Amino acid sequence: MATYVDRYPDEAGVVKATFAVAFAALGVGALFGLVQALHRTGYLRVIDSTDYYTVLTGHGVLLALVFTIFFLLGLFTWAITRSLERPLPNIKLTWAWFGLTTTGAVFAAVAIVAGLFPSLDMSADVLYTFYAPLQAHPLFYVGLAMFIIGTWIAGVDWFLAYREWRADNPDERIPLQAFMVLTTTLMWYLSTLGVAVSVVVFLIPWSLGFIDTVNPLLTRTLFWYFGHPVVYFWLMPAYMMWYTVLPKLAGGRLFSDPLARVVFVLFLLLSTPVGIHHQYLDPGIAEGFKFIAMTNTMFLLLPSLLTAFTVVASMEHGARQRGGEGYLSWLGALPWRDPAFTGMALAGIMFAAGGFSGMINAGMNINYLVHNTLWVPGHFHLTVGTAVALTMMAGSYWLVPQLTGRRLYSRPIALFQVVLWFVGMVFMSNAMHRAGLLGIPRRTAEPQYQSFDFSATVGSVSELRIQMAVGATLLFVSVVLFLFNVLLSAIEDPIEMPVDDSLPAPLSGADGSPVVLDNLRLWTAIAVVLVVLAYSLPLASIVTDGGLFGESGAFPVFVDAVYRVAGVVA
Amino acid sequence: MAIETETDSSSGRDPERPKGYVVGSAPADAERELSHDEFDPVGTLTVILVYFLILVGMWVFMYFVEFLGNELTVVG
Repeated sequence: MATYVDRYPDEAGVVKATFAVAFAALGVGALFGLVQALHRTGYLRVIDSTDYYTVLTGHGVLLALVFTIFFLLGLFTWAITRSLERPLPNIKLTWAWFGLTTTGAVFAAVAIVAGLFPSLDMSADVLYTFYAPLQAHPLFYVGLAMFIIGTWIAGVDWFLAYREWRADNPDERIPLQAFMVLTTTLMWYLSTLGVAVSVVVFLIPWSLGFIDTVNPLLTRTLFWYFGHPVVYFWLMPAYMMWYTVLPKLAGGRLFSDPLARVVFVLFLLLSTPVGIHHQYLDPGIAEGFKFIAMTNTMFLLLPSLLTAFTVVASMEHGARQRGGEGYLSWLGALPWRDPAFTGMALAGIMFAAGGFSGMINAGMNINYLVHNTLWVPGHFHLTVGTAVALTMMAGSYWLVPQLTGRRLYSRPIALFQVVLWFVGMVFMSNAMHRAGLLGIPRRTAEPQYQSFDFSATVGSVSELRIQMAVGATLLFVSVVLFLFNVLLSAIEDPIEMPVDDSLPAPLSGADGSPVVLDNLRLWTAIAVVLVVLAYSLPLASIVTDGGLFGESGAFPVFVDAVYRVAGVVA
Repeated sequence: MAIETETDSSSGRDPERPKGYVVGSAPADAERELSHDEFDPVGTLTVILVYFLILVGMWVFMYFVEFLGNELTVVG
């Protein structure tokens, strides 16, 4: 019984290459994270506090952009080929986007790390949120632009494969994994327009000195136009594994294929017109626009809650098939000794907790309590830092053997690794959330102030610091174990069947579900309309107030005209 | 030279698959096949209700910690 590498050797080579880049970024980014955690808690300061922001930028960009998106590129390539049961149309095109994204990522990483060497006169200490007024070296922005264009070409590659498949199968429903790839890619095209305009039109000319000023609020808003959907770009590969792989690992079948499609359609529609919820405290955006973004965000909870139901029900199906009984005791019948299953399940539990803090962040007035405090990194270390990262690591234990034809080096170490990540994150994220409630700021090298002490209602600040440092250390050890295990798996001897890679059919299949679910043009059109509704007036208002390139002056007077028309109509 | 324990192969949906240690295959102790209509996800309902109760409890707790006795946060 052949596995993926035997069926699609060329594509397996590309997927392996993307995973290699992803895991290299994971290793370096995790080291940066450990340096940060030990520095800000005061236990070990190996860098100057001024370099803290260089390390912070490296941690954010390498983990949140390079690790996650390169893993996505590999996973989606794997998913589109196996679900459409055909190789990609042109492997040269595939290698081309891999080369472009990798070169771009290296450029950005070089510009960031150069900040640690003053003699180089190059830095990109702009943090992960790379908007004005902080300015990076042009190489950083050029690298980002190349990276994003590379992901666009990857999307074209997947759509070309789909077009070929559709020509051969005009009346078939889109296979579920391919559907997930295509909807996520459409969301990505829509959402990266904002960051592409920000980088290409404003930040690159500004960093090269072609223009003297930019409108900082405009670059912030364009960044966040992309900055929220990008979190779903990280999350969708994890969801794909939860929906299509986790039920099988549990010994069951996906509860409902159509429900999974509904969820991905909802993400396509709602991921983008919510970015302003990251700007609740930005002056220059009217409260009403923020309220619209909040409303959309609350709707965006729905697909994640649907996912909670479907994925848990699919796991329960597996447990029941294996003899599980009762209201809760069926949980004991799940295969908790399988690292791939356990990692994904623990990631799902953490995502439920992250959902709670996300709801807090999303509420306009409650957001004021936690804005820019350590609560926020506490939140996203549960979501991207665990739901996504842990699912990707756990999924790798099942995926990498398919790509290499070699079995996993050690299942026990893998199991220990995923549990260690969970435990480390329980310590670190819980402490971050609590510290945020005390008002301890995020993105601060030395959150200790003279003649001022943060006071904790429960526990103490030093206890929170210990938890953060211990948690971060466990997380770093977990990453080292993961990389060690994957690396040793790559040099095992090839065997006949390194992994059970079959995926059972869903309990409730796509046949009989509304055909409109597969109408990608319709959903894209609605998504565009929602974005226009959510963003046209705020952007016009920002440009009117602050100028397109930061010069004050009324250009264009679009909003005034709208008000006048509205007045006439009223 | 891998370190691992022997486990059963997958849960028997593909008879061509050889027995032996493979990652990602639930042990072959499937006692029954449950079809769509035979499966009633009451356990899922229980888990989601537990989550909901935790959420409500935390929101109530937050009200006492953060809001009670404080001034309103004025918007605008």
